[in-house]
Amino acid sequence: MSSSETKTAAASAPAATEGAVRLDHVVHRYGRGGETVTAVGPVDLTVPAGEFLVLVGASGCGKSTLLRLIAGFERPTEGAVRVSGAAPRPGASAGVVFQTPRLFPWRTVQGNIDVALRYAGVERAHWPEHRARLLARVGLEGTEKRRTWEISGGQQQRVAIARALAAENPLLLLDEPFAALDALTRERLQEDVRRVAAQTGSTTVFVTHSADEAVFLGSRIVVLTKGPGTVALDLPIDLPRGDIDAEELRESREFAELRARVSHAVKTAAAA
Amino acid sequence: MSSATRIQETGTGKVPVPRPRRALSRARRVALPFGSLLLFLAGWQLLAASGTWSQTLVPPPAKVWDAFVDVSTTHDGVRGYNGTYLVEHLGISLRRIAFGAGIGIAAGVVFGLLMGTVGWLRSLFEPWITFLRTLPPLAYFSLLIIWLGINEEPKITLLAVAAFPPVAVSTTTAVAAVPSSLVEAARALGGSRWDVVKDVIVPSALPETLTGVRLAVGVAYSSLVAAELVNGLPGIGGMVKDAANYNNTPVVLVGIIAIGVSGLVIDGLLLRLERAVVPWRGRV
Repeated sequence: MSSSETKTAAASAPAATEGAVRLDHVVHRYGRGGETVTAVGPVDLTVPAGEFLVLVGASGCGKSTLLRLIAGFERPTEGAVRVSGAAPRPGASAGVVFQTPRLFPWRTVQGNIDVALRYAGVERAHWPEHRARLLARVGLEGTEKRRTWEISGGQQQRVAIARALAAENPLLLLDEPFAALDALTRERLQEDVRRVAAQTGSTTVFVTHSADEAVFLGSRIVVLTKGPGTVALDLPIDLPRGDIDAEELRESREFAELRARVSHAVKTAAAA
Repeated sequence: MSSATRIQETGTGKVPVPRPRRALSRARRVALPFGSLLLFLAGWQLLAASGTWSQTLVPPPAKVWDAFVDVSTTHDGVRGYNGTYLVEHLGISLRRIAFGAGIGIAAGVVFGLLMGTVGWLRSLFEPWITFLRTLPPLAYFSLLIIWLGINEEPKITLLAVAAFPPVAVSTTTAVAAVPSSLVEAARALGGSRWDVVKDVIVPSALPETLTGVRLAVGVAYSSLVAAELVNGLPGIGGMVKDAANYNNTPVVLVGIIAIGVSGLVIDGLLLRLERAVVPWRGRV
């Protein structure tokens, strides 16, 4: 990392806890037909500010529930969730990208960004510059006036990412955002998310079932067991970050080894 | 602009139809309704000329045309029908519909929003609205006359009561069916409860509500003659009722045709409005 990048990162981080996530003995249960099912927990997990954490696990392991707990959409049955030192509130604690883009079809691409800027309390006079910056960040210049159903699935998810970045939350949560995209589009978006996270310096929690995606994106990977989801493996990833050649990285030997290791852990955790 | 770029602009999934076939289908779209109209007029003329029924019961088209000219002009010192031209009769009735249906539609939207979002309000009001919807307007018109007299009040009220249920029902259903994923997305972006109503629930329910509005205007239209049964002159429904009292079949037919044609025009305009206002219909 160059010295100028270090300086901006330091300047934009007001406190060490800003964007940090802490889960203390978190358990989540829900009632189903008279019996309670434990979906998650107990989980103890600390995500320091600026980390890119990827939660990996087989489908149904409670990784999406864990993300919803961090986003504040659900409350834990036991234990406590803390984001930037406080209980999470939807819309205030984190930007969220869902599995499907969830764009508002009654608004254009620009309208979808603008509504997020309005909710974030940005003054109307500053919308054009913010909008241009956000769209440039996800590579969508020139699509402002398009209807949401006129653009491709990959572009729709890019709009969703730009929208989630609008409030400049110190924490970004992504719930299998690329699962429905074709392989080529998925790789491009992975590269973009990796770059955006590095640029903004925000803490990121990314949920996926793909070991490949996890190793490419994460600075740390947590593999979850199935029913209820608990931590099976906690693995720091030491691949180069910042400006990298994505192609070279994907084809490197370390990448292949890590992917095999994570893939094996996911399978073992799901079988247990 | 070259034809190649135009094809690109229409987007994927649309295969351009070859020119001659498109021209043919357009000709057919115009020719069929006009052909059927001509056929109808010819049949009518034949039926009237055959003398099976008296001219009082089935006047020939020419007589109805004469009646149309009579009620649209001043002749022998008489201005239109009962001192009012046909367009004025129609205009007065349309104003009653605009007022009455307007009130009914506004109330329907408010009730629909409330009932769609608050469960117990829906349980409370839905049976009443269903009850109201099944009643023919004539059934409560007598009551409205007793309560409100014979001037504008009972007419406007009848049209409002007739227009209310379709909008309330369609809005309630649409609001209750708003995708929770979009509500959650708005909350995740930091939208308040009011933001969610304004930016998600209303636009998401709007296509269905507009369908309800078209239904409501239709119901109000078909209640027009009933609303103008008593003291309905001037007014197109009152004109039909009054002419019927004197066995003036041509004027009755002129009135019926005027109501029907204006109804078609208004429905066409509402359909246009709907397409312009809610291009996202079916995309939610």
